[in-house]
Amino acid sequence: MARKITVDGVSKQYESPDGTVQALSDVSITVPAGEFCCLVGPSGCGKTTLLRMIAGLDTPTRGAIRLDGEPVTEPGLDRGMVFQEYALFPWRTVRENIRFGLERPACDCRDCAAQVEELVELVGLSGFENSYPSALSGGMKQRVGIARALAVDPEILLMDEPFGSVDARTRDRLHGELLDIWAETQQTVVFVTHDIDEAVTLGDRVLVMDSDPGTVQARIPIDCPRPRERTSPAFVDQVARIRAKLGDPSIEDSGDTTTQK
Amino acid sequence: MSTQIETQTTTIGERILGRDLRRYLRGVGGLLAFLGIWWLGATMTEPTYLLPGPAESGRAVVGLFESKTAIRVPVTGGELVLPTGLAHLTQTLFHYVPGLVLGSIGGSSLGLVLGWNNTLDDWLTPVVRLLRPIPPLAWIVFAIVWFGIHHSGAAFIVFIGAFWINFYGAYGGVESVPADLTDAAATLGVEREWSMLVLVGVPSALPQMLTAFRTSIGRCWMIVVGAELFGAPGVGYEIINAANNLAMATSVAYMFLISLAFICMDVCFRVFERRVVAWR
Repeated sequence: MARKITVDGVSKQYESPDGTVQALSDVSITVPAGEFCCLVGPSGCGKTTLLRMIAGLDTPTRGAIRLDGEPVTEPGLDRGMVFQEYALFPWRTVRENIRFGLERPACDCRDCAAQVEELVELVGLSGFENSYPSALSGGMKQRVGIARALAVDPEILLMDEPFGSVDARTRDRLHGELLDIWAETQQTVVFVTHDIDEAVTLGDRVLVMDSDPGTVQARIPIDCPRPRERTSPAFVDQVARIRAKLGDPSIEDSGDTTTQK
Repeated sequence: MSTQIETQTTTIGERILGRDLRRYLRGVGGLLAFLGIWWLGATMTEPTYLLPGPAESGRAVVGLFESKTAIRVPVTGGELVLPTGLAHLTQTLFHYVPGLVLGSIGGSSLGLVLGWNNTLDDWLTPVVRLLRPIPPLAWIVFAIVWFGIHHSGAAFIVFIGAFWINFYGAYGGVESVPADLTDAAATLGVEREWSMLVLVGVPSALPQMLTAFRTSIGRCWMIVVGAELFGAPGVGYEIINAANNLAMATSVAYMFLISLAFICMDVCFRVFERRVVAWR
């Protein structure tokens, strides 16, 4: 069911008051069907822009994005997206948020209600079906975001720093849950993050991006066996290699890490 | 264990009750002080009819419900006999309610469409800018020549007042829909602009639209009284009618009647609003 993503010579320019911004410059990548691919890079490297273009929410200035050879022109139910700030509909309950994508006339699920209940259970939100997002913690909100994206059974799951605003312990748990879901659904996943540990924990492969202009600098397969231990030498070694590729340890988007020369 | 919890809840309960009681008592104190100053001002004013006192005004309020008045129902043309105060209030509602309802529907609809569609917005923004600053009461001349100064003319003035308030509520609400939400909806299969407006734009703008409607409830009372001063039947007309006969206490009684009607509507709408946007 998974699909292959091809990004072919994609550039993206924005017009801003300060002139033209080159967000991405001639990026070419291939994400094979079923791969869990992580994009890491400093803020401004265009990783979110790239993800949005795969989603069909932005269009490339040059180049093309294809899914199994078909060019992407607009958003579609074949690509689910999970947003950094959750983007839940605040006027809808947990259940209604998850059901959103199933309410289109085109929806062909036989028993939508049962499917929603299954998803609620899958993301561990039983008992909160009728809560509004305002009553949920960050981790719970993102569980709803994931369930909502999964509801339409997309072949590709696009995640934009989904766990950036949840606390470390919750994030660890969500990583485990996400990998379980991925193992079950076999989807192609593109996961954007600025956290190298997170990328190495999750990805089959990590694409390291650089800014000014945004380019893919390195493609690093992660060959540690799953489930991965953060303290294992292989894991630590991978993290160190990626950190070296980034050249500058101040990769945190928050900019709170110190720059070492 | 359970007793401990019980004592705790009672202390919390008592604390809330205490705070509420204190607020309530302060409110009563403020009201009494107002009545006292009013009474003092009234007793010191000569000639006395210039400012009726609280007691006299209270008697006038009671007086409004002691006699009965027959009013004509618009559209059906039937006749309705009600206590005088209520009769004139009903006359006001005959143009207040249609004006408010139609103005709110018209205003919010146009606001939603212009806030959502940039092309239409470009076309109509200059027109909106031009018409918006005209005070609703300035339209009274057209109300008179188009509809005559009766229910329909007054309703027209109220319509204009409600229209712009609701227009800007909807316009602002729908313009500030977070891009994240429309992006999320797009990835979940919402394709057409119209579906996006219905599924994301309107629910997201609803709190601001309801606030605008609540504002228009109050504003339209001001406008309706203004329209009635020009001769449309209702409480506003009765205020000036009583004053022309130097029955100032009756004028004050009608003023309080308006206040009471507004409070009732406002409270009812607040309850409704809280239910509709319970998610906030």
